[in-house]
Parts: sequence; structure tokens; C-alpha cells
Amino acid sequence: MSDLEYHVLLALAAGPLHGYALKQRVEVESDGNLTPQPGSLYRVLARLMTSGFVAETDPDGPESPHPGLARRYYALTAAGRRALAGEALRLKGAAALAEKRLRAVRP
Amino acid sequence: MSRWPERLLRLLPPGFRERFGPEIVEDMREDWAAAGRRGRLAAFGYTVAATLDLIGTAVAERWKPSLRTTPRGGAGGVVRWLSNGWSQDLRHAVRALRRTPGFTLVAVGTLGLALGVNAGIFSIVDAVLLRPLPFPEPNRLVYIGGTAPGSDMRGEFQLAPEFLIQYQEQSKLLQDVAPYDDFTNTLRVGDRAERVRMAVSTPSLFPTLGVTPALGRLPTAEDEDRVAVLSHDLWMSWFGGDTGVIGKSYYIAGQPRTVIGVMGPEFDFPRETVTLWITAPLRPEEIVPGRFGMGFVARLRPGADMPALERELGALAQRLPERFGGSPGYADLIRRFHPVVRPLREQLVGPVAGPIWILFGSVAVVLLIACANVGNLFLVRAERRQRELAVRRAIGAGRLQLFRAQITEALVVAVLAGALALVLARVSVPLYLRLVPPDVPRIGDVEVRWATLLFTFAVSAITALLCGVLPALRASEPSLDRLRDGSRGSTARRHWARDGLVVAQTALALVLLTGSALLYRSFEKMRRVDPGYDTRDVFTFQIAPESDELKDAASYARFHLAFMERLRGLPGVRSVGIVDHVPLNEDLSDDTFIPAERAGDSRGGVMLGFTSVAGDYFQTMGIRLLAGRALTQEDQLTDLGHVVINRSAANLLWPGQDPIGRRLKRESVPVWETVVGVVEDVMQDNFRDPAPAAVYYPLVGQPPATWQVSSPAYVVKTARAETIAPEVRELVREVAPGAPMYRVYTMAGLAAESRLPLAFTMLTLGVISLLAVILGTVGQYGVLSYIVAERTREIGVRMALGAQARRVQAMVVGQGARVLAVGVALGLLAAAASTRALQSLLFGIGALDPITFVGVAGAMVVVGLLAAWVPARRASRVDPVEAIRGE
Repeated sequence: MSDLEYHVLLALAAGPLHGYALKQRVEVESDGNLTPQPGSLYRVLARLMTSGFVAETDPDGPESPHPGLARRYYALTAAGRRALAGEALRLKGAAALAEKRLRAVRP
Repeated sequence: MSRWPERLLRLLPPGFRERFGPEIVEDMREDWAAAGRRGRLAAFGYTVAATLDLIGTAVAERWKPSLRTTPRGGAGGVVRWLSNGWSQDLRHAVRALRRTPGFTLVAVGTLGLALGVNAGIFSIVDAVLLRPLPFPEPNRLVYIGGTAPGSDMRGEFQLAPEFLIQYQEQSKLLQDVAPYDDFTNTLRVGDRAERVRMAVSTPSLFPTLGVTPALGRLPTAEDEDRVAVLSHDLWMSWFGGDTGVIGKSYYIAGQPRTVIGVMGPEFDFPRETVTLWITAPLRPEEIVPGRFGMGFVARLRPGADMPALERELGALAQRLPERFGGSPGYADLIRRFHPVVRPLREQLVGPVAGPIWILFGSVAVVLLIACANVGNLFLVRAERRQRELAVRRAIGAGRLQLFRAQITEALVVAVLAGALALVLARVSVPLYLRLVPPDVPRIGDVEVRWATLLFTFAVSAITALLCGVLPALRASEPSLDRLRDGSRGSTARRHWARDGLVVAQTALALVLLTGSALLYRSFEKMRRVDPGYDTRDVFTFQIAPESDELKDAASYARFHLAFMERLRGLPGVRSVGIVDHVPLNEDLSDDTFIPAERAGDSRGGVMLGFTSVAGDYFQTMGIRLLAGRALTQEDQLTDLGHVVINRSAANLLWPGQDPIGRRLKRESVPVWETVVGVVEDVMQDNFRDPAPAAVYYPLVGQPPATWQVSSPAYVVKTARAETIAPEVRELVREVAPGAPMYRVYTMAGLAAESRLPLAFTMLTLGVISLLAVILGTVGQYGVLSYIVAERTREIGVRMALGAQARRVQAMVVGQGARVLAVGVALGLLAAAASTRALQSLLFGIGALDPITFVGVAGAMVVVGLLAAWVPARRASRVDPVEAIRGE
């Protein structure tokens, strides 16, 4: 799972988002490390949808920041939630291992 | 802001563009506006970055679409799964294979070689065994022969003229029937006189086969024996395709005959070498019953079957003695007679079908071994890619998707290999055909054609499945665990598949090796057979002198005796003789002989072969005289009624008694002969069949008055057997101008030719089994090498802990040896079950010859251990420090 995939899933875990909001949240949540351009972002989104981790959904409320354009909203599926959990577990494990190793090296 | 985002969108694939295009444009405008607020430079930077990103996305999306256009599941899911995205799979497979050129090269090369030998042998199977005979409705064509268990006629024999007349007139199931025979005789056109192969039949031959001439007409009953039909080859090579040849008369087989027709190029009945067809009328009133030796070809009426025909022909034969008479022996034979009916194709290709199927089976085995090898390579590759595959699975690739991707890789390899195979077959088949014994029927039709093409690609597809399925299953099962620990996983469970493949390879290679070893031992034994004569330093040829002076036995006798004298005068010639039937070249004539002691007994006759000899025949051929004396010049010139018989004939006629001075006669000839000598038996037809019991007549007297047989064979003992031919030819030109000299051989050459079918099968199977052993060994070596590489760390630890190099070597070799032992054991069982197929080719040993089996198994073990020892040595040289650090 690439970083961008992880962060897209992570962003959607908070609730459905449209594309531009998703991009902004990814930027924030990755501390600015990921600034996905539209092409890459939608390709990752398409891949995740094909895999069944993300699905298109109706917006919760009538809030529409850009009147005139019907924004599409994307939401995490149950499978996406599981995949995110699995990856988070892996990262956690890896991080814990790294910390342990780094501690062990320093006396 | 300009319209660049819209323009860039056109790069994207339509599906992706339609789905995400508006959103992408909207986002880009949003971003561009935001960047613009930070300055022109930022806006420009953003434009460049977004443009490059979109171009990258477009390329990636076209190469490997991420968007599924139809939703997953639902009705027709399997069909969609099969038909969807194959181009993506294909691209992916090609890319993956190009990333590992070594693997691809080895896999394509191995499979290509194996498929190539399959394509080559299949082109022979296709032409010789599968393609229907080139006649209309070939399924209705049958051969008719006969057996008579318990009579003098041993085995299956050909029929006699009276059968033909009876069947033609009275059979209700036969539409038409014709006899056929082919022989060599003289064709004279102007100054050119040569011995050529010709066929003789009745006019019914052509309608029976259902053929029409390309030019002119076919013979009718009114033509009697005065016409000939030319083959297309002869017409082209002798007459330059001149249509004016029709109606011209030439000297053919002893008399002038008029050319009335030319056949098309595809007509070559009964064999390819036949150059013309002549007719000989059968007159019922002239028939002497019992002259067996005519092959019959017949066409069934539509709907008639062969068992019914056999019953009908058997019943019709029973009425032959009352119609045509004949001796009591003949009547007895007819009582025991059973007709033999088989499809014509089986009759024509029967003798070679067995060996060809064996070769075909053997190359199929080689292909299986190659599949096992390549399958193993794929397995190893799949295991190396565990991590990659696990990632793909984690981001949503389904098992089926991964499975299909792997199978596609195998398919690409197999198709490449198939193409390579066709190239190999095209190049090698013509070369190979030069080694094939020339008397294999229809071998001239062999070519790599569309059937071979179809076969090769069908087999390639099967091959892809065979070597792709196991690795594909393996590749599609990695779980996400693999991602977590990053290890290479446990090994135990994965080994059975690889070991199984190595066991299969070893066993299959052993089967082929056993087969070719049996053939080799047969060949060696056959080479050491004592045929009763010496094939070294003997030159043989025939001439057919024709002149006005040569008109009776005495004139022929004078000619041949004088010519023998001239031959003796050539430098280096030790002795010269004449014989009517040269061993290994012609079969003896057969007849029933009666010893004087049983003259009154109608059943006292014995079937013996006979021929005529003159000069120093026995001495020239090195045939030992056992009792009495050989025939002398006096026996040759005056009709004293003296004959020589061989050991078997003496035992049959006068068991346990001295045959010298006793008398015998042919049943059909009223003249008694006296035995003056007994010689050793000689193998007449080949080195396989037992020597026939035989009577040797002098060339004069009653019967067979061989001086009138215009063309006996000469045998010349000389150390210059290989090089004397031009001098003899010169002599023939001088003594008998215009006489064709033919059947020019050395006895050593005839002996080699007689062993050719066995030698040919032995060599081919030898090469095939060598290929199998090499592929099998390479496979075993590859697997062990991989295992050693995989266990480098473990071995390093063991050695760091004090394991000796020796122990490590023993461990690896032991691992190889266990697999080897199972493979050899299974192979021996399989060989024992299958070598019986070779039975008809074997000579002097059984299909289960223990020495061969033990020897081959031993060789296989040695080679296998060697293949294990190389990786073992590498393992024992592992540097523990390196190994542990490398991880």
C-alpha cells in the first residue's frame, strides 16, 4: 500500500469527502509531505474503488461549497476500513520495532 | 486562465476521462487560483507540476487501467473475468518477462526445444499416419490377404489369381478388387535403358482406387498386356512433360508397350518409387491354382463392413478347389484358409506405425520434462515475488486476478516457444528426413504444414497450463502476513511441489533412457550376429543383358560364364559367383519339396526356399560347406540333377540321417534331384528372422532353368569392394553394351541397410532420451541450487556453530538423493510397464532386460548425484559471516 493510498483511506475514515476536500485533508494529515496533483489523486481513488475499498456516496447534507458543480462524494467501505486497520497495524508494528532497535543501539 | 486543463484531459483514456474529468479540471482551477495568490512563479510552478502529473497519469492509466468500467460480480462474471482486461494482463506479462531476460530465455529455449522435436515428429505422424490416403473415400479401401493356420504357409500370405477371379465375380460386398505387385525391370527409351520400379495389376486397379489420369486414358481389358501408364515423375524426368508421349511404344519389362496415359503427381500406389504401371490380363482358363504372392486392394460397397466381408470371402474361397482343381496340398490349405481384411492405409504404413508412435510418445515425454522444468522455474520465480504479489493482493488484486496474471506469463512464454519450435522444425525436419530409411511409406509427403502449426500451438497452450497452473496457484495465495514479517516464509510446505516435479522429471527421463539403452543393446547384439556368411569385402551387382544372341538357356549360360571369367581377371578379385537371390536383398522363392522316401505321401512335402547358384558362390560369400561338395562347373554345364541343401533343409527332409546322395523333387515339377552337398544356413531376409531352409540349384537343368532368368546377381570377393564398381561398369559396357547394371552394393552396405530401421529408431530415441536426461538433470540442479541459495543463512549459522563442510555437503546431497531415489524407483516401474512397446524392435534381449535396467538406473543415480554435488559444494563454501550479514 503506497503512502498516498494509506492517506486517502485515512482521510475518508473520518467521513465522506469530495475530491478537492480529500486532497486538502491528505495534505494536512501528512504534515504537507503529500501534495497530490489531481491526476495522481483520482487515479489512486479509481484504484481503491476498483479494489472495493472506496465507494461513491451521496453527500450527508445539502452543504455544497461550489454551487453549480455537482461534487461527487467518496466514502470508505467496510473492506477499506479493514485494509486501513491492517496497514495501520503494520505501521505500528514497524514503528515499534524501529523504536526498540533505536533504543537498543543507544546505551 | 487558459483552457489547458481541458486540453490535457484528452490524453486520458476515455473511460477515466468521463468519470473524473470534470472533477480534475475543477480541482486544478481551484489549485491554480490558490497558487496565483502566492505569485506568478508559484502559479507557473503549479502548472508545470500538474501538467507533468496528468501526463504521467495518462500514460500509467493506458498501460494499466485502474478503473474497472463494469461493476464487479453479477451474472456473466466469469465471462467478463475471462474476456476483460486481457490486454492489461498481456502488457503486464510482457513487462514482467522483460524484466527477467535470463529466466525468459531459459524458459522459452527449453520449451522451444521440446516443442520443436514434437512439431518435427508430429509432421511425420501427420503425413505418414494421419493424413488420409489420396484417393476418394479412402475408408472404403481395404487390403485382402490370408492365413492358413496349421498348413505349410506360415504366418500371413498374399493370395493367388484364382481368388481374384472368384471375388471379382461373386462377392456382393466388394465393389471392385485388383491385384498389385511391384518389381524392378528395364525401361528402354531410345538409347537410354535403366532398371526402374514398376507395378503390375489388372485394369480394375484404377477404378478400385477411384483415380483418373492427368493425361490420356486408363487401361481396359482389351489392352491385355500391351500398354503402360506413366507416373508424373517419370513423364517429367524422361519425357520432359511432352504430351506427344501418348501413343508411343517403348520397350518396357521385356516387351514393347504403348503409353496410353500419365497419372497426376500425387498418385504413387503402392509405393512412392513406382514409375509406371503395366497390366497383365488374368485368364481364368490358364490359371494354375496355388501360385500365391499377389496383394489385393479392394473397394467395399457403401455400407459394407470388414467382418462381414471376411465371412463372405472365407466362404467364397472354400469353393475354389472344385472350380480350379489343384493338388491335395492345395485343397488342405484352402480348408484351413482365413481371409485377412484390413484398411489399406494400415497395410501400407503398418510396419512403420509402431516405431513412429514410439518416437511420438517419447518426444511427448520430453515435453513433459521440459514442462516440469519450466514449471519449476515459474515456481521459484513466484516465490521470489512473494512480497510483490502480497502487496498487489493487499491493494485489492483478487486471487483470480493474480492467477490470471501468472497464467498469462506462462502463455506468453509458451507462444514464444511455439514460434521458436516451428522455426526449429522447419529447419531440422528436411535434414532429419535424409536419415529416415527411404522405404518408409509416404515419407516424401512430410512437410511442416498447417496441421503441424495447429498442433504446435494447441500443445503450446496445454504446455502453458501444465507449467503455469501450479505456480499460478501458489502465486495467488500469498496473504498479508507476508508483508508483515518480510521473511521468505516457511519452506516445508512449498517443497513438495518442486520435489514432485523433479521426481517426475527423473522418472520420465529414466523411461526414455531405458528404451534407448534396450535398443542400443539390441543393435550391438544384431551387429554381432553370425548370418552364416561374411559380409566383408564382397561386391555385388546385377546386369540384365539383352541381345539377339541371348535366346535360350545355353546362350545365357555361355554369356554369364564368360563374364565371370572376365571379372576374375580384374586386379584384386579373389573369387566370383552368381546367385539368383542375394541375401539381404531378395527373398528366396518358395515351393513344396518331397523327399524320395515320402514320394507317395500326399502330405509328405516340406515348404523350402530355393535359389540357383553358379561359380564360386559359397566360397565368395564365405558360406561353410558342412558335408559333401559344392556344385562344380560340370554341374553347371550339363543337366546332372545335382543340388546342394542347407543344414535346416537336411534336418527337415531327413532328420538324423546323412542327406548326401538322397533324392528330392519340387512337388510341381516331375524331375528328381540328388543331394551332393550340405552347407551352413544363411540368414536371407535380415539379421532378425531365422535362416530359411533352402535348396541350391545349379543354373542349368530342371527347374528353375535360371540361365533364362536374364539377370542373376554377381558376388565378387575383393578387398576393393568399395571402389571396384567403375571397373566393373566399364567391363559391362564392353561385354554387353546397353545392359543396365543395377542393384550395385557391397554386402557390408546391405548389412548396414538391413539394420537401418533399428539403427534409425535407436539413434532418434537416443537423442531424444539424451535431451530428456539433460533437461531432467538441469531441472534437478536448478532446484537444489535454489534451495541452497535460499538456505544460505541457515547453512552459515550451522557452519558458524561448527558444522563441517563435509556435513553440509552431505546434507545437500542427501536432500537431492532422496528425491532422486524416489524418481528412479518410479521411473523403473514406469519403464517396466512401457518397454513392451519396443518389443518388435528389440533383438536378442527381453523388454525387461535386468542388466539394462540396472545399468540405466545406475547411470541416472550417478548423473543425479553429480547434479546435487555441485550446489552442495557451493553450500559448503558459504562464508558464515557473509551469510549472516547478508540477511
